[in-house]
Amino acid sequence: MSKVVGIDLGTTNSLVAFVKDGQPVVIRDRSGDGLVPSVVSVSPEGTVFVGREAQRRLLTDASRTVYSVKRFMGKGVEDVGGEARHFPFRVGASREAKDGVVRIGLGDREYTPPEISAFILRDLKHRAEEFFAAQGEPDSEVDRAVITVPAYFNDAQRTATRDAGRIAGLDVLRIINEPTAASLAYGLDKRHTGLIAVYDFGGGTFDISILRVEDGVFQVLATNGDTHLGGDDIDLLLTERVLADLESPGNAGSGFSRTGEIVQHIRKAVIQAKHELSDREETEIVIAAHTGPAYSRRLTRADFDALIRPIVDRTLEPCRRALADAELDGSKIDEVVLVGGSTRIPLVRRLVGELFGKTPHSELNPDEVVALGAAVQADILVSGNRDMLLLDVTPLSLGIETMGGVTSKIIMRNSTIPATGSEMFTTGVDNQTAVDIHVLQGERELVGDNRSLARFKLRGIPPMPAGLPRVQVQFQIDANGILSVTATELRTDVAQSIEVKPSYGLTDEQVEQMLLDSFEHAEADFAARLLIEAKNEAESVLMHTEKTMRSAEYAEIAKTEFTLGEQKRIEQALAGLKHVLTSSDREAIQQWTHALNDATKHLAEIMMNRSVQAALSGRNVNDI
Amino acid sequence: MPSEATAPVVQICRNCGGGAAVDVHFCPQCTKILALGRRGDYFSFLGLPRKLQIETATLERNFRALSRQFHPDYFYNASPAERRASLERSSYLNDAYRTLKEPIARVEYLLELEGMGTAGPAESSRQVPPGLLEKVFALNEELDEIREARASGSAVDELKKRLERAREPIEAIRVAHEEQLQELSAQWDASLGSHASEAQRREVLTALRERMLERNYINNLLAGIEREMNA
Repeated sequence: MSKVVGIDLGTTNSLVAFVKDGQPVVIRDRSGDGLVPSVVSVSPEGTVFVGREAQRRLLTDASRTVYSVKRFMGKGVEDVGGEARHFPFRVGASREAKDGVVRIGLGDREYTPPEISAFILRDLKHRAEEFFAAQGEPDSEVDRAVITVPAYFNDAQRTATRDAGRIAGLDVLRIINEPTAASLAYGLDKRHTGLIAVYDFGGGTFDISILRVEDGVFQVLATNGDTHLGGDDIDLLLTERVLADLESPGNAGSGFSRTGEIVQHIRKAVIQAKHELSDREETEIVIAAHTGPAYSRRLTRADFDALIRPIVDRTLEPCRRALADAELDGSKIDEVVLVGGSTRIPLVRRLVGELFGKTPHSELNPDEVVALGAAVQADILVSGNRDMLLLDVTPLSLGIETMGGVTSKIIMRNSTIPATGSEMFTTGVDNQTAVDIHVLQGERELVGDNRSLARFKLRGIPPMPAGLPRVQVQFQIDANGILSVTATELRTDVAQSIEVKPSYGLTDEQVEQMLLDSFEHAEADFAARLLIEAKNEAESVLMHTEKTMRSAEYAEIAKTEFTLGEQKRIEQALAGLKHVLTSSDREAIQQWTHALNDATKHLAEIMMNRSVQAALSGRNVNDI
Repeated sequence: MPSEATAPVVQICRNCGGGAAVDVHFCPQCTKILALGRRGDYFSFLGLPRKLQIETATLERNFRALSRQFHPDYFYNASPAERRASLERSSYLNDAYRTLKEPIARVEYLLELEGMGTAGPAESSRQVPPGLLEKVFALNEELDEIREARASGSAVDELKKRLERAREPIEAIRVAHEEQLQELSAQWDASLGSHASEAQRREVLTALRERMLERNYINNLLAGIEREMNA
């Protein structure tokens, strides 16, 4: 039986976990590291690097390295706007495709955010498969996963995440909300019942969810958040501060010039300082001279707190709105759970504590708790574990455009999912056979202020006088929080065909094509890796042989011990290998490497014997 | 709860062809989840009497118990038909729960069930309910004057005070309405178990319906004042 995992696809880091003997466990690499940095780098040759290696490449090849791709999931070109300039990679409209979906340009190739995320997912999949294989599992394939998203993700962002899973070759069992997943991980010990607030402040997103836990049912009462607010904003603020220092008139003449790589060095340094201030009162932002401009700046906790206060304050209003929607005040909350790396910041802990009037929980590692919960949910889905049940809500109201550009709500926010809603449509003109419907998500009155999800064209309405057809459009939000639409003409009971044009998403055909591309890509990656390995081996053989041939010993051996033509064969193999090494012909490189190995076999034996004799000759028999 | 022996069969199991009564979720013969065909109203689906003053704790408990029976999470490995049935039943359950949890939505739903819905196209919320005519007339006059005063540059604080004063009588009606709704709800509930005639029950429903229409109108007025405040 193939394996099922839970994946936390984070802005900064991603993790994979699974349930072993009823307990969720994070899958770690050999050095015990569970976090895979959500960074993807594509070399000029097209080789894809993910995680730590990609993170290192941020400092040397910034324009070909993507981080925080989650911020662009499900986004349209106009959503990105000025934010693009903060990133070292190209992000914006596609050069060719006219679908409005954001593209990330690395070299001469364009990727959609789901494709970049798919690289990360594939890496996690491989990590898990290697782990299961090492455990001696008969079937170590990982083909199904529960993937988490911020609770406040809209339909387009959820769909983009599901698409990423599909492109990575995963059957996405379920998309679940990060704070809810965290509550599952916390609820495992069954001690926790009552009202829980999960405050999830991550690298790029903020969520607050209020839950009631009773009889093993985790029921979300209300959720709120900001899908564009996280530790990234703090890093950016600090980076800008350092850049302002370096670019100030007083610093003129220092030779500082802003490049993608230098900005990444600065970003790395400020992130380190931020981390240090979690348990120190004071630190220093240091940028060593060899990595760019020499720079240091003292930063106290108080300065840091004052600087980031506006960002942290922005998390409090969603908390109040969620409490209001749940018809509760902060003091009614029994427990507050902290999730996400940014909750390590002391100021965050203090302000959250004040808002809810109690000390927040943080027994579980805030970086890992979401993946653990995702693994628990995956287990519930496939193993028939009925100890717990998650009842989540849709974070944003769903509606359609009506006369005058006004949004008419059909399913209200914080409705438990799955949920349905329906609306009647009719025709405005005699014998009209099609109706256009514009689906929106958001709380605002005007269409332009809400998120456009899709435009539908209802076709096949039987010709009738205007106003007579009664077309019922049924909206269904499934347990993933993803919308589907069906329509029926009630007078004739004819199901209508619906043509969906996602406003900011990929069509099924595009996703399918990307999945196929990724296979080819994976093959190309694999081939590139094999070529590099072959070249490395050839170079090492070449180097050893040449070194030996330069030695005095070699000249002596060639004269006394070589058979006829032996030296010539070595020289020919050497020349042959050198010649093919400049090509990308892996097979030829391997053949010539073999040939050289063969040609030097006798030489190696002679050398070995000589060194053994030399070693023995200096010793007494008793030493052996 | 009607016993299975006497309750009429209204659902047919698509798996084994067995029959089941209304509000039965699993086939009594083959135990498979039933497709959501003929179903009870929100009250009966949640195992509640058709009352307006329901016990929240009971509603919550029944909701959780039913969720545990047919949430899609528990049908992941089932056949496509069963998965579909679980999705439909869960959706209906959630829609029912959401409606009955909210006291106002509950009244609206009851009126709809009893064929006296307030959402029909004939009942435009722009039509002034007769009982409110006088107050609405006075309010509109005052709002017009405030707009004029604003246009001629009156102090914002002064306008705010006038708006506050204009809101008071409307707010008072709203509070009175809440009380009347409570009272009528209690009357409705009492009429269910008693010997009240159909005509008497209709009377209560008619009164409830009128209050609801007025309530919608009052809320629109209050929203209008709110808009002026923020103008």
